[in-house]
Amino acid sequence: MWIQTAFLVVWLDPLGLRYHSMCSPVFHCYACPLSTFACPIGVIAQFGALHLFPFVAIGLLITIGALFGTLICGWVCPFGFLQDLVSKVPTPKYDLPKFTSYFRYIILIVTVLAVPYFFGEEHFLFICRICPAGAIEAAVPTMISQATSGQPVVWPNAIKLGILILFLIAIFFIKRPWCRILCPLGAIFSLFNRVSAFFLKFNIEKCTDCKRCHKLCEYGIEPEKSPNDLRCVRCLECTNCGPKALKLENIFSSSKNKK
Amino acid sequence: MKKHIKTIFVCLFILLGIALLCYGSLFHSTDILAQEDNIEIVMAKNERELIKLASIGGLMRDESGWINQTFAVGEKPPETCAT
Repeated sequence: MWIQTAFLVVWLDPLGLRYHSMCSPVFHCYACPLSTFACPIGVIAQFGALHLFPFVAIGLLITIGALFGTLICGWVCPFGFLQDLVSKVPTPKYDLPKFTSYFRYIILIVTVLAVPYFFGEEHFLFICRICPAGAIEAAVPTMISQATSGQPVVWPNAIKLGILILFLIAIFFIKRPWCRILCPLGAIFSLFNRVSAFFLKFNIEKCTDCKRCHKLCEYGIEPEKSPNDLRCVRCLECTNCGPKALKLENIFSSSKNKK
Repeated sequence: MKKHIKTIFVCLFILLGIALLCYGSLFHSTDILAQEDNIEIVMAKNERELIKLASIGGLMRDESGWINQTFAVGEKPPETCAT
């Protein structure tokens, strides 16, 4: 929680830098009045619409993904943090079927890559036109500012508004629905989970088969079977199991242990 | 996956990522069309400038394939992205 708060301060531009010529590795809309950096997904989609290769955004995501995988989702992303905060409201929580996690890859391929490239940024399925992060962080503050200054309020399109309303309902009943079902950035980072410098290591000798890690994991993963699962956001809750059979390791520490 | 193979993959990905990042932020540039005093001019913009312009909806690709700046040189750029 404190680590996420500390990173939130970085993303919320306390120094007023508006350093939008560089991407951050997190999901934070660049149209947000308080964003320090540009959103990598927005940049990839916008560059796709311009038929340009986004070297900076892709380079950053490969570097960060290869280092941390979805550790970014669990500990750094402000949009994940928002969902974590709301999940603390004591409402009944429902689990999702495993196949829903694959929707993220469809969102990535369709709304971030294919639609921008073939139809441009005016298409209604362009990621920024449907993104709830953009709606919460940019459209809502802009609408409030328009309303308070007496200007006519420009509403987001119906699809964006619909997704926003669904998202706002879902975060009370499902743990991190955006990250698990729709997030294209999480989809990219998850591909690195099995080849990232930091990874979850399962020690079979310490495991007592108590299944406590199953109860600790709020994402329906069986960490002892698949510690670096594509669906994992690396919240590291499973590492709190009694026997400490699961542990966050990195490629360098594991080679030291081998010696 | 064996540890040394994993280490090689991680290092290769990190090197590839840093190479793309450095190329994009230091060397890559694209020509764009902009209006200045009602005359169309071609300007080379580096990728960092392109990211900043794209993030406010300041660039648009026309049917001929050229990337146009949506506001004239010297004019105030849009404050936020059109989406």
